[in-house]
Amino acid sequence: MSRRLKTAAGLGLTAIMLFPVYWMINVSFTRDTDMRASPPHVFPFDPTLEGYRAVLDQQLPYLGTSLLVGLGTVLLTVVLSAPAGYSLAKLRPRGGGALSFVLLIAQMIPGIIMAMGFYAIYLKAGVLNSTAGLILADSTIAVPFGVLIFTAFMSGIPDELTAAATVDGAGPLRTFWSVVLPVSRNAVVTVSLFAFLWAWSDFVFATTLDGGGDHQPITLGIYRYIGNNNQQWNAIMATAVIASIPATLLLILAQRYVAAGVTAGAVKD
Amino acid sequence: MRLSRSARRRLGAAAALTLTACLTVACSSSDPGSGSADAASGPYTIWDPYPQFDDGSAWVKLLNTCGAEAGVTVKRTGYDTTDLTNKALLAAQQDNSPDVLIVDNPVVSTLAEAGALTTTEETKLDTAGIEPNLLAAGQLGGKTYGVPIGANTLALYYNKAVLTKAGVDPAGLKDWAALTAALAKVKQSGGKGITFSAIGTEEGSFQFLPWFWGSGAQLTRLDSPEAVSALTLWTDWLKQGYAPNSVLNNTQTTSWQEFATGDYAFGENGTWQLANAKKTGFDYGIIAIPSRAGGTAPAPTGGEFVTAPVRSDKARYAVSQRLITCLTSADNALTTDTTLSYVAATAAVQRKQVAATPELAVWVEAVKAAKGRTSDDLGTRYPKISQPLWTAFQAALSGSQSPPDALKAAQTTAAAATR
Amino acid sequence: MAHDTTIRTGAAATVPVRAGTAPARRARRTRQVAAWAFLAPVVAYLLAFYAYPLYRNLDLSLRHYTVRSFVQGDAPFSGADNYRTVFGDPSFGPALLHTVVFTGVSLVFQFALGLALAVFFAQSFRLSATLRALFLVPWLLPLIVSASTWSWMLNSDSGIVNAALGVVGVDPVNWLTSPQWSLVSVIIANIWIGVPFNLVVLYSGLQAIPGEIYEAAALDGSTGWSTFWRVTFPLLRPVSAITLLLGLVYTLKVFDIIWIMTRGGPTDSSTTLATWSYRLSFGSLLPEFGPGAAVGNLLIVMALVCGLVYIRIQHRQAT
Repeated sequence: MSRRLKTAAGLGLTAIMLFPVYWMINVSFTRDTDMRASPPHVFPFDPTLEGYRAVLDQQLPYLGTSLLVGLGTVLLTVVLSAPAGYSLAKLRPRGGGALSFVLLIAQMIPGIIMAMGFYAIYLKAGVLNSTAGLILADSTIAVPFGVLIFTAFMSGIPDELTAAATVDGAGPLRTFWSVVLPVSRNAVVTVSLFAFLWAWSDFVFATTLDGGGDHQPITLGIYRYIGNNNQQWNAIMATAVIASIPATLLLILAQRYVAAGVTAGAVKD
Repeated sequence: MRLSRSARRRLGAAAALTLTACLTVACSSSDPGSGSADAASGPYTIWDPYPQFDDGSAWVKLLNTCGAEAGVTVKRTGYDTTDLTNKALLAAQQDNSPDVLIVDNPVVSTLAEAGALTTTEETKLDTAGIEPNLLAAGQLGGKTYGVPIGANTLALYYNKAVLTKAGVDPAGLKDWAALTAALAKVKQSGGKGITFSAIGTEEGSFQFLPWFWGSGAQLTRLDSPEAVSALTLWTDWLKQGYAPNSVLNNTQTTSWQEFATGDYAFGENGTWQLANAKKTGFDYGIIAIPSRAGGTAPAPTGGEFVTAPVRSDKARYAVSQRLITCLTSADNALTTDTTLSYVAATAAVQRKQVAATPELAVWVEAVKAAKGRTSDDLGTRYPKISQPLWTAFQAALSGSQSPPDALKAAQTTAAAATR
Repeated sequence: MAHDTTIRTGAAATVPVRAGTAPARRARRTRQVAAWAFLAPVVAYLLAFYAYPLYRNLDLSLRHYTVRSFVQGDAPFSGADNYRTVFGDPSFGPALLHTVVFTGVSLVFQFALGLALAVFFAQSFRLSATLRALFLVPWLLPLIVSASTWSWMLNSDSGIVNAALGVVGVDPVNWLTSPQWSLVSVIIANIWIGVPFNLVVLYSGLQAIPGEIYEAAALDGSTGWSTFWRVTFPLLRPVSAITLLLGLVYTLKVFDIIWIMTRGGPTDSSTTLATWSYRLSFGSLLPEFGPGAAVGNLLIVMALVCGLVYIRIQHRQAT
């Protein structure tokens, strides 16, 4: 396949994948009277900006909170899980297998039960309705994932690399800091991406722990259009569209950092 | 190792960034007003299921005014309505309930059963002027647990142009036979018949009840011949193509969107759609849902109750009582019900509403004939009946069971659950 | 920053190991200290944040909870009653079967599609990084939005899918409202949601394979498919295994997509253990927390079994 053909194929695949997203955009411009037209309108021929007007008036502060929560969760997750992954992959702690197991099980606890547990703890600690509390809660979705992913990636780092560092006189901390972490860039990016995405799209923690907060994430903002009897679908979809834009840019930036053959480069060095 | 040195610098910067970020976050989070308000002097918390209203809305302004009149500040939070029940139970468990809680009427008996709500007797709330059929939804074992803020119910919206084309006079649609005949004519003339919501949740049961009760059936016996006739009516509509298959998955909003396309002759929907009806751009009318034998079928009441949850600090009840009285007082109820597009809970305010908007008369009549889902002292037995009921109509409409079989199974489940 | 100091102490203690002259046992012990020092923050974190919810879920499932005792906190201990109720429920069999089918089919397709796409995007061509990032966009949408969009597209009467089928002359399908299709529909939507996860993790895994290995394989005369099967796939095994395992855990607990699209219906035809658990605890006006938690715990047991299998396989590979 020529490069140009590959780009065309890539565009085609992306288009198929993103068709539901297109449909969401389509609905965001559709008037109430056309929403259930049969056959459906493939393109909003008679568009309305009603949804977007509502969103731009009301939703921007929510977006800021979501970004802050997302980035906070990323930092917390990486800081906690990267060292743990290194230890499990390279230092072979006794009981490490059991710990990985616990991490796996931890992810099976339903989010709503976690949220109910947190509610009681947060209420006593007085961190209910705070951004920091929400970051902490959101990180619980990502930390076990982070540890397991770091373990899987770091166990692929050749032992010669860490052995060489040890011969150079580096202790485990220095080995981790200056050898393992730099070659684990892909893992860091991957874990960060998903930590961000989970925090961004979390609803259960947000509503239980930050429902009455002054700074609420975008997933709660959407509920402004889901009244007790009626839902304003074009505004709901418009919120999702607007909310996706900054986050998409962030994803594209992050993807550029996933580099090929990082391990190889380091060995040569 | 050159690479490692540069990496170290990069990571050092990242770590510094982390620290700063943590600090900023921690600082921004120490919000003193956000915790529970335990001191009697603290702000009074109000939870409602109206997340669509923001701080500038008439509703929130009213809350603040009532707070000011009672000499306190109020802190209001709007939750998604399904979420609010869980939240209220959880808060009650942790003794962190709001001072005033506004919830959907069938939830009142659940929360009362949980011991999470005070009685109107305890908080000295006056319920004398409230229509008895509306208040009944908030009563359990002879006690009243809240005041309705207003009510809504279901009726049939119709599209004048579609009916004219089919040669149907809406005034003559007084029983099921006439309605089904009208649907046949509509289909013949190339229109679409009727849309409703038969989704497998409480929303679907809410929409089925006018037909269920309109057949003469009782919730205590789901497999009676009357009940079977109601479910057969719906399934036949689907089989004949008078109603779309999508009703199985329709929420009331989806069903409204279908009606709003202008293709459908009828849409079963609530009072709250009045404002949207004006935006559709076609002529519409409203008739009450007919019963099987003729006349208006009892529809279930919708709408919320204002309640005062149990708090450990009983001194707060006095102010809560003033807040609730203010919210449900005649003038304020009129404003609130107009914003929500509800019918008021007292006859006096209903008269005012009709005087201001004559087209509300149909709805006021419908609300008078309406009946609470948890009424007849069903209370918390209602949810255990409603779930088998929606399972039954889902089974019959999707064709996996016949109406009598589906309802028989439902009755068995309900009887076991409510025993 | 308490853990920072522990890590540092651990590091200092390990320095003498390097020459290999110190007694082996001591070296091993210091190594263990260092290993656990690195793990300390996560262990503390797990104890702080997971122990209580886990205990609570267990406790909920072992007591007879009514709304009243939930609020008052005085639910009587009822042993395995909730589990007996759950096993005896007619919904149990179908829910278990649907869970297995839903999880199995979703996993296979998500992984296969994700891997194929990862290999495709690993080749460098214009826009490859950008397009790869765009594949993640579905994850940015709140689930209520993406699941609603799917049910919009699959609507029997006004959905785009049936309209498209009509154009090519196929009869409309009742995707969400017929018992035969509802499970298929939610699986399709779930695969769509899961592909980006597999793509991104596997792609990063591919990128971590050193280029020299491919060069060496090429020198040996290996090309295309045989390189993939003989070189790429084995090297990708740790990442593949964890991707599948995590995928399994996440798919087992999926409920929101199904809940929003079909509410598990019609008549339980798309009910999985996760949606059932949700319906019991939160789906009606009267919550049944006890049986709900019991179903949730059954899911945990299922994940546990799969986790054991994973660890066994991993162990066998290591030795």
